[in-house]
Amino acid sequence: MKFTRRTLLAAASATAMLAAPLVAEAQNLPRNMRMVIGSDSTGGDTYQNSAIVAEALSEKLGINIKVDAVGASEGFKALARDKRGTTIMMFHDQSFLGNLYGVKGYDDPFEGYIVGPTVAINPGNAYLVSADSPYQTMEDILAAAEAGTRVRVAIQPGGVSEIGFSAMKNAAKLRAPGSEANIVAVNTGSQSDKNQAMWDDLADVINGSIQANEQFTQLDPSDQKAMRFVWITARPETLEQAPEAGMGGTTRDAMLGFASPETHVPLNASEDFTFDKEFFLLYNKDMDPEIIAAIDGALTEIYAEGKIQERQKEAFFIPDFLPSDAALEHLTKKRDTYKQVIDEITSGS
Amino acid sequence: MFEFVTPLFLSLIIGGTFVGIIFGAIPGMTATMAVAVCLPLTYSLGLENGLALLLGLYVGGISGGLVPAILLGIPGTPSSITTTFDGYPMAQRGEGELALRIGTISSLVGGLISLLVLDLFAPTLADFAIKFSYVEKFLIIFFALTVMAALSSDMLLGIFSGVLGIFVALIGTYDISDGGNGNLRLVPPGTEYWLESGFSLLPVLIGLFGLAAILEQAEIGVPKGHSSKDIKVGKHSRFSFGVFRGEGINLVRSSLIGTFVGILPGVGGSAASIISYTNAKTFSKTPERYGKGEPGGIIASESGNNGLTGGALVPLLSLGIPGDSTTALLIGAFTLQGVQVGPLFIGNNPGTWDAMIVAMLIANIAMFVMMYYAIRYFALVVTIPKHILFPVILMMCVIGAYTINYGIMFDVWTLLIFGVLGWLFGKLRLEVAPFIIGFILGPSAEIYFVKSLESFGDVTIFFTKSWIAVLLWVLIIGSVAGAALMSKKRRQMTEEAA
Repeated sequence: MKFTRRTLLAAASATAMLAAPLVAEAQNLPRNMRMVIGSDSTGGDTYQNSAIVAEALSEKLGINIKVDAVGASEGFKALARDKRGTTIMMFHDQSFLGNLYGVKGYDDPFEGYIVGPTVAINPGNAYLVSADSPYQTMEDILAAAEAGTRVRVAIQPGGVSEIGFSAMKNAAKLRAPGSEANIVAVNTGSQSDKNQAMWDDLADVINGSIQANEQFTQLDPSDQKAMRFVWITARPETLEQAPEAGMGGTTRDAMLGFASPETHVPLNASEDFTFDKEFFLLYNKDMDPEIIAAIDGALTEIYAEGKIQERQKEAFFIPDFLPSDAALEHLTKKRDTYKQVIDEITSGS
Repeated sequence: MFEFVTPLFLSLIIGGTFVGIIFGAIPGMTATMAVAVCLPLTYSLGLENGLALLLGLYVGGISGGLVPAILLGIPGTPSSITTTFDGYPMAQRGEGELALRIGTISSLVGGLISLLVLDLFAPTLADFAIKFSYVEKFLIIFFALTVMAALSSDMLLGIFSGVLGIFVALIGTYDISDGGNGNLRLVPPGTEYWLESGFSLLPVLIGLFGLAAILEQAEIGVPKGHSSKDIKVGKHSRFSFGVFRGEGINLVRSSLIGTFVGILPGVGGSAASIISYTNAKTFSKTPERYGKGEPGGIIASESGNNGLTGGALVPLLSLGIPGDSTTALLIGAFTLQGVQVGPLFIGNNPGTWDAMIVAMLIANIAMFVMMYYAIRYFALVVTIPKHILFPVILMMCVIGAYTINYGIMFDVWTLLIFGVLGWLFGKLRLEVAPFIIGFILGPSAEIYFVKSLESFGDVTIFFTKSWIAVLLWVLIIGSVAGAALMSKKRRQMTEEAA
């Protein structure tokens, strides 16, 4: 085939016409966008989820989006500095939990920023014990606290890690008022610190995740590193959407055994405490509404196409897209629920 | 068996190593930064190819740091601080090329020894590494801190400088991600916004070593007869392997120290070269030559920091726990591909494991070939007139400082503040090396010390926790006693000379 200048021009025009709707929509968008994340780790779920979303958005909008793992405090600062829409932030419930727990550097995201769409849930937030632990279930742990035994729980204070701990104390209080004093926090940092706390016999229970700790649950029980799940905080309806094969050697059905209602950690007299770690975007308060609309629109199309859901499920995320307005309503309700738990437990201690 | 070894795989390793060397060689740019920049590329490359690129960057980035450390006295990366101690004096007396060759060969040996250890003993060593609790990690850091005394010309001033470094490092938040309470410490009112996260290491490092040196030179000017053109790069520094005679034990010991420190998550790469260097000096028959251009110092430092590369992969691939800041980024490559890294990783992913070992081997060889044969050109840096060289270094320092945390202007101010501070240090007879060692190791020392007390509730735990703790105390006491003896010997020599 011979390519003349006319053929090439025609091809270029056709390509331009096909791309026209997207380019038009993206005209107000900066060509380069930075997605800061509330974690400084590139090995965690926040980075992984952000990378999936950033890639899909880049492709849809025809712009470059770079994910930067800067951490919560620096992320909020970067977002607050940039009104032009060249910086957006991906974070999860830690953003408002940190604020509820009074952690420095955590402003109220509902006040200081615009809450954008939710994109996914990580159903993996979990609590584990050593393989040779006398505690087989959460029931054993709560019973031990009631019997006056100190149960030490390794957490990173002020967020996702702590909310389950607060719920444990709340459940102990409901069961036998005063016994919550026997559930004590061991404040650690990263996941490796929590694991080490267990291996050093400094903690009876550790906060972890299916993704980070599942392989340790597959080790021979005689191995000093071996662990067992005792509680997965995700709602059962969230976990049911996970791949049937689960992760590693733990099937979805096995996971459901560690979640409500099979594993019972009461929130009040009638319902169990559950917690889904949910990822969502945050925008600068003065960001151009058209840019927000463009991102919302692009994500709506992306989720309608359905490819991103496959990617997210492969990575053990549960797709959970809600446009900005619906996300704000949902997350506000969620924040209020957990505020009650935190208030309840802190008022009594 | 090795079907993953494709032209693309090889190109990525070699390209990655080359780019890594460039990153390592530019003050203020690091292996960590190189990996961070290229991490998203691995998304489309696939796991083995992605890892090939990142491991090339890692090995190249760690090794490249020796170039500015030797030629300019500016550590390209934090782990090459100790390379400046003897490398730069050698370069100043016209032996830059020789020093670079020694450093490159030491880097290769350190990298290969650590790779061998990784390949043969990864799971076993991971089981050993988890025996190191907060207490043992604190003692290791404390052991590394004792080097401050050994490295100082005046022991008291050296220790004071080191403690000052620790003090400055504690400015900022006691971060909750370290298990802290999130409170601000030592932050003057009105500066909370900038100092919340404290001073960043890289701007402090390049300020103290790079900018301070430029300010000192600007103050004295270039004396007549000392034009850099007078330095004959190759004449004084014919290389022969004879320079390694008597240094075999130092080379292997430092490589193993680097590997071992890498195996312990959270101890960090700087500690690897610092401990290696101190040991080399302690066991040397001529410790008084260290710090004045002794090849053994470069051998210890460079084999130590490259020994870290294989060591830091041990906890990553056996426990899913990164051994240092660069492998913490490396884990992102697995995450992006949805691969779980943990105690079953090696057994479940033999292909990926083999690919990593082969990639590390090729990266080390590529690093050696590239650097060894490019040394002649690197070394020409010292022949560039200073009025041209210094503005270029200054510009690179500023760019490095600005980019390290993705464009924070305060990091540039940090560079300038510590540049001036470094210049004032010279006037006040304070010592930069102990200060920066204190600054680097101080935060880890604090966390492990506080966590030890929180966890075990009693200061005696530092002496009674385990046989490892007792052994570490023996090393600490030996290091302090050695430093005291050396200081006494120096005083006597000074008195005799007077």
